[in-house]
Amino acid sequence: MTTVATQPSSSAWEEIRGEFFRTGDAETALARRTAVVDSIALAACAELLLPALPKGFTLLAVGGYGRRQLFPCSDVDLLLLFESERLAQNAKPAIGRFLQRLWDAGLRVSQSVRTPAECLERHDQNVELNISLLDRRYLAGDGDLFGQVAEGLPRFLRGQRDPLVRNLSRMARARHAKYHNTLHHLEPNIKETPGGLRDLQLIYWLDRLRSPGATNRFPDLEEPRRFLFRLRCCLHYLAGRDQNVLGFETQETIAAKQNGGDAAAWMREYYRNARAIHREALRQLEMSEPQASNLLGQFRDWRARLSNADFSVARERVYFRAPHRLEVEPEHALRAFEFVARHGVRLSLDAEQRLEAAELSALPAVWPALRSIFSLPHAGMAVRAMHETGVLEAIFPELRAMESLVIRDFYHRYTVDEHTVVAIQTLCELRSGPYAELLSEFDHPALLVFALLFHDVGKGIGPGHITHSLAAAGTAMERAGMPEPNREMVRFLIARHHDLSAAMQSRDPGDPATAQFVARQVETVERLKGLTLFTYADISAVNPQAMTAWRSEQLWRLYLAAYHHLTSALDAERIERPVATSAEAAEFLEGLPVRYSRTHSAAEIDGHVDLAIRSRERGVAVSVERLNGVYRATLVTRDRPNLFASVAGTLSSFGMNIVKAEAFANRRRLVVDTFVFADPARTLELNPSEVDRLQTTLERVVLGKADVRRLLQNRPAPGLPSRSASLPPRVSFHNDASPGATLIEIVAQDRPGLLYDLARAISAQGCNIEVVLVDTEAHKAIDVFYVTSEGKKLDGGKEASLKALLVEACRPPAVSS
Amino acid sequence: MKKIEAIIQPFKLEEVKEALKGIGIDGMTVTEVRGHGRQKGHKEVYRGQEYNVDLLPKVKMEMVVADSRCNEVVSALVAAARTGKIGDGKVFVSDVAEAIRIRNDDRGDAAL
Repeated sequence: MTTVATQPSSSAWEEIRGEFFRTGDAETALARRTAVVDSIALAACAELLLPALPKGFTLLAVGGYGRRQLFPCSDVDLLLLFESERLAQNAKPAIGRFLQRLWDAGLRVSQSVRTPAECLERHDQNVELNISLLDRRYLAGDGDLFGQVAEGLPRFLRGQRDPLVRNLSRMARARHAKYHNTLHHLEPNIKETPGGLRDLQLIYWLDRLRSPGATNRFPDLEEPRRFLFRLRCCLHYLAGRDQNVLGFETQETIAAKQNGGDAAAWMREYYRNARAIHREALRQLEMSEPQASNLLGQFRDWRARLSNADFSVARERVYFRAPHRLEVEPEHALRAFEFVARHGVRLSLDAEQRLEAAELSALPAVWPALRSIFSLPHAGMAVRAMHETGVLEAIFPELRAMESLVIRDFYHRYTVDEHTVVAIQTLCELRSGPYAELLSEFDHPALLVFALLFHDVGKGIGPGHITHSLAAAGTAMERAGMPEPNREMVRFLIARHHDLSAAMQSRDPGDPATAQFVARQVETVERLKGLTLFTYADISAVNPQAMTAWRSEQLWRLYLAAYHHLTSALDAERIERPVATSAEAAEFLEGLPVRYSRTHSAAEIDGHVDLAIRSRERGVAVSVERLNGVYRATLVTRDRPNLFASVAGTLSSFGMNIVKAEAFANRRRLVVDTFVFADPARTLELNPSEVDRLQTTLERVVLGKADVRRLLQNRPAPGLPSRSASLPPRVSFHNDASPGATLIEIVAQDRPGLLYDLARAISAQGCNIEVVLVDTEAHKAIDVFYVTSEGKKLDGGKEASLKALLVEACRPPAVSS
Repeated sequence: MKKIEAIIQPFKLEEVKEALKGIGIDGMTVTEVRGHGRQKGHKEVYRGQEYNVDLLPKVKMEMVVADSRCNEVVSALVAAARTGKIGDGKVFVSDVAEAIRIRNDDRGDAAL
């Protein structure tokens, strides 16, 4: 027996290793290693097994070893085939000596002992056994016994093809899910992560199960295959063990040898190759899975009913009905993503390929289309599809700076682009809990998505990434045609996206100074909500464990503290020395709450000053204008009892549904009231003269020339509230929220006329409304009133009687039949 | 050897870590925990709804040090973690019978 046969000299391994590092040729290294291991296994088998087992036993190489792809530190997979279990039982001592010899030779053996019958039956719990036989290779022993398996296997595979494919697909999907369905890990496991060697093998296996005998059917995968083979060889040799995780240090070592030391650029090459493999693996899975599902399941595929004139849905995937439209009408691409965002159905691979090939860079101002996509329930899925097809980057080339970008960080798990998409998905998939509720209250979810898209793009441009991100977002917003007020919110979110995380780590959320600090940073409740949601999504996307329940609670505490501070400060913080462009503006602004200047643009304030000037003549000035789908009435007049209730009542008498309202008073008791309302019956749209009549009626009511109660007698009867939507009213009083007024917070089921009824109840108790903030989320009205009684806070007795009135006012009025 | 367990305010973690690093203590285990002592909990009101916050987020730090360094470490830790308000936390010190470094079987102070 030769020395090599029992224990290869270290020089044999060293020679293979040396040649690999000289040539970079992994195939040769794997084949040579396989040959050396063959010689060891054959010699040991000849000496220790075959003398006792001249018949009824065969030694087979399976798995990677069977394919002659034995990586430097991989397990040596052996199948010991016995004609009967009894024979295998009797051979146990010999098998033990044989395996010991291989281990002593430095091999890590992974063996299984089977009979032909076991090889030719399905093992749902041991899929690997069935699949490993696809790569079987005869080594030694009874040729007839091997023949039994070799002859029976094609018939077995044909008969069991569907369940085998199903098992294989299930295993692959579970593996993908374990790695969060992304290949963009900063330190990927090059064997297991999507796009790794297991995916490559999955492609070959699925193809062989479907088309036995077919060879060389994936020429496009040859380059990625060679890349991964070379990489795994390298990892094994550098680590001296079965190391498949491509860590930061190894990335630098390999990049230094192959890429002039630019590890980030070399990793982009890795991701490019992995993407090619992952894409093909998904294609193979998609082609295989429907075959494995039952016909009844396909028949019941209700999602097909979502099909429309532009898109069809089959097997849970979206297809273009007329793909050629993409060439002449690039906007068609955005409609496809809107379909995905609306229905939560993924694009088919065919649709993805067509979108990848489409020319979309010349799309005109896309913000209206994007706003629609980003506001829909499955916006996260649509954004991922837009990114994976390269459509996002075609529309916004600025985003290419973060594509597959590795930034070394102890906490981050993903590349910058993947982190961004995961953050957006996290946000868009909020369905329950306080953050979901907060999202439903936020007026501009599309702006959150847009800001998340650009918040880290600066990392690919240079140090001080926030400045670069802001610049990139600025260019993109300009090109997309985003309105200026929206851009301001995006700029705020990007510029301050670290503020809440930093406050969580370094400040006590229970300390009033923290609440004050955060409130000063964000300035308005709207911005606070946006930044809280942004922070939640951003932290959640760092790694799957980053947003613990503990951290989520910390963020929420911070939000509550700042929220209470901002809402308490509404009445207390007043504009003392206004910086204004005119004496009239200064006079108007003096004494208004600070919130007023933070929540209104310069153009809006100018409009209010004009109204204030106009009001001097007649005692009131009113404007009614149409906004996006709603109307806004603004009036300026002297404060007087019951004013707010009268205006709310007048709007209700016209059948309008108030969705937002504000009322502020300045030092001279001049009030500016703003009501945003919906027109459910389209009265104003279909009868333009009604706008003038509404404006005149509002003026008459304010001046006391018309009686709101009489107007309300003629108002349309409100519809009955839905039983499922019923919301018990909550009325709470807070006397410590403001130095001079009592804060009343009311959350109730919204209905036409609610605001009028509440305001009337407050006035009926002789209370004066100082500041009002009214908001509506779906069927929920959230109303905040700062009220005084004879210039002071309410006492306990007044609170109790007013509370009873308010709770009563929240109830829907009886509807006569 | 002594085991020092400190329950501190989360926002003090970085400051305490820096203080310990300043006196050469790098090894520690940090866990996110919830609890309360005399601070008890409190009620939060949001949108008219009351929430009982009875277990407050805290951070637990654990480290084992040589007997000779225990007082110094505790002093540094307490000084860095203190705000003077209720809820600053607690420090517990206990005896440790043995420490073993798994990698090389070092024992006692050598394993710290």
